[in-house]
Amino acid sequence: MSTLQSPPAPKPVSTQHSASAHTVELQNVRKCYDEFVAVADLTLSIKPGGIYGLLGPNGAGKTSTIRMIMGITVPDAGQITVFGEPLNRAHMDQFGYLPEERGLYKKMKVLDHLVFLGQLKGLSAAEALKRASAWCEKFELSAWTSKKIEELSKGMQQKVQFIAAVLHDPKLIIMDEPFTGLDPANAVVLKDVLLEMAKAGKTILLSTHRMDQVERLCQSICLINHGHAVLEGDLSQIKARYGRHNVQIKYDGDPSFLEEKSLVQSFNDYGNYVEARLAPGADSQDLLRLASSKARLHKFEVMEPSLEEIFIDVVGKSNA
Amino acid sequence: MRNTWVVLKREYLERVRTRTFLVLTLLAPAIMTALMILPAKLTTMGEKPNYIVIVASTQSFGELLRQQLLSELTVSDDDESEEAATKQKPEDQYTIVIDTTTTESERASLRDKIDTHTIDGFIWLTDDALAGHKVTWTGREVAGSREKAWLGDAVNHIVQRQELSKQGLNSSQADALLKPVKVESVRIDHGRETKNSGSSRFLEITVMVMLIYVAVLLYGISVMRSVLEEKTSRIMEVLLSSASPTELMTGKILGVGAVGLTQIVVWTVMGGVIALPSLAAQPNFGDLQLSPLMMVSFVLYFLLGYLLYSTMYATIGAITTTEQEGQQLQFLIVMPLVLSVFMLMPVIRTPDSATMVWLSMVPFFAPIVMYARIVIQTPPLWQIGLSLLLMVGTIAGLVVLCARIYRVGVLIYGKRANLPEIMKWLKYAKA
Repeated sequence: MSTLQSPPAPKPVSTQHSASAHTVELQNVRKCYDEFVAVADLTLSIKPGGIYGLLGPNGAGKTSTIRMIMGITVPDAGQITVFGEPLNRAHMDQFGYLPEERGLYKKMKVLDHLVFLGQLKGLSAAEALKRASAWCEKFELSAWTSKKIEELSKGMQQKVQFIAAVLHDPKLIIMDEPFTGLDPANAVVLKDVLLEMAKAGKTILLSTHRMDQVERLCQSICLINHGHAVLEGDLSQIKARYGRHNVQIKYDGDPSFLEEKSLVQSFNDYGNYVEARLAPGADSQDLLRLASSKARLHKFEVMEPSLEEIFIDVVGKSNA
Repeated sequence: MRNTWVVLKREYLERVRTRTFLVLTLLAPAIMTALMILPAKLTTMGEKPNYIVIVASTQSFGELLRQQLLSELTVSDDDESEEAATKQKPEDQYTIVIDTTTTESERASLRDKIDTHTIDGFIWLTDDALAGHKVTWTGREVAGSREKAWLGDAVNHIVQRQELSKQGLNSSQADALLKPVKVESVRIDHGRETKNSGSSRFLEITVMVMLIYVAVLLYGISVMRSVLEEKTSRIMEVLLSSASPTELMTGKILGVGAVGLTQIVVWTVMGGVIALPSLAAQPNFGDLQLSPLMMVSFVLYFLLGYLLYSTMYATIGAITTTEQEGQQLQFLIVMPLVLSVFMLMPVIRTPDSATMVWLSMVPFFAPIVMYARIVIQTPPLWQIGLSLLLMVGTIAGLVVLCARIYRVGVLIYGKRANLPEIMKWLKYAKA
């Protein structure tokens, strides 16, 4: 294993695996608990490097999917491939996992606990201690390293849990709702660390139902509903596929261009600006020309649909 | 293997470092000693007929009984009274007074004296009573078995002697005739005679067997608790993302076992240091010998018994969600242990009967039954070997089986798994 500095410094994307090999690939994976189908027929692929968002409403099968990727549970059917090989136990040391339900030994001291979990991931005690201390410093936990877990606040425990997930410098980091329970300042620290790791070539699987986080952090996403992938791929491509129908306009002067039915289907005046929805088949450039001939424009922006809109649209359709 | 070692080490260190461990390890022997000594102290502290009145028709007959009672206290072969005799002269222990008023009103007034604690009891030994072969002891408490035997023997002795002298024998002839024969037990162990009395063997077996029983239960429950704790604290999911269920389970069981072994070693050393001087002083306990075979088999059967039972405890921890549920299920585990304790008496009586030989082969009974057999009468080595082999085999099988249940069970939070579900886990889980 490479002895990467912890916290890792940004470095070029690792090319240890051939470009074609996905970090994680699921093919027609199925998992049932008794009668309940947690994951029905899931196919997805996660490219190496960057942050991949696993989205879905509660109970969609996110945690079940993650457990199978981690090798904690075995799928009933289908194939899981990681780093281009069928998933096996040896891959476990390359994974870092932050579960949604946080779990630590309450009576253990912070540093002892981190060293223990690091050793389970194959680090030597000395190396684990060195890295754990460095991480604690980064997360301002240095004063707490000899305290018991139960003496820490929820937010601090969360940070300890995060450190445990990345201590062994894993190639694939799986974060299940990593931001819940963190105050805004710590959430920013965590976000920066995640982005830094993504830049350094780590693959991060972020499972959440917070659209805004995914929108800001992820390059690719998979939207799961009822155990099926209803949307998967590159985030910008998905958005492009959904088209750009909304235009935000700030102007002075004659508003009559908004009444042009061949270009504007409807509009909403927010006072400071107007949001207009383009008529089907209309070109935003035609509207721009028309508007600039009538009024003095301060802003004319073609808006991307928000992920939330897409989410509600897709989930609504797939539930129907 | 590495992960098992890491889990084992954590389990061991986290437990040994706690204050509870320290207190328990140091205090338990004190409590145990107190528990063993107190009941004995309490019986000796029980009210003895210290002030006894003999009501007899003639002064001389009463005097005969008085002498006999006191002499039986001195010459008695009974271990315990021997012990008492060395501490105290019988004359100091008992004041025996003779009363020749044999009226009913005297009986009533003696009763009153018992009530007012002036005397401890009286024995009604008038000629009428003797003629009717019925002598009554009246005391504040009904005489215990030792007192009853003591009084009865003395009364019988003097009555028989009186009868014999009526038949024309002089008193020394009568004594010779009445001298009881003592039966001494001699045990043959590997062709050597040992003078072990049955009671000291029994003591060894009970102490060691109880140690196995209590330790297996105590540490087994501890394993179950700690599995449950890992489930409820949800750390299990983190652990499972790093190590296999088998590694986690064996690491935990071995770690807790190491804690138990540490505790027993500490206790043995402490017990040795405390008990050695008193053991050396007491000839009766000097016979208590622990042969190397007994020591080795104690450690072996303790360890294997612990492994067997704690594997099952770990599984119970995995399939239940709360400690209450676990406690409900654990009777399944405790039952074979309790059964084997019940088998102790038959084993001591007939250690090599066919039933006992085969019962001692059953892995669930072996830690107690086979161990007891070894202590009483060393069975053929093939039997010991076979029972050890069967235990190791059963443990290996159980570990594989339980690891499968464990793997699925530890991730089930909401409800307790039922039997059909567990059967399904066994079939599908790849451990």
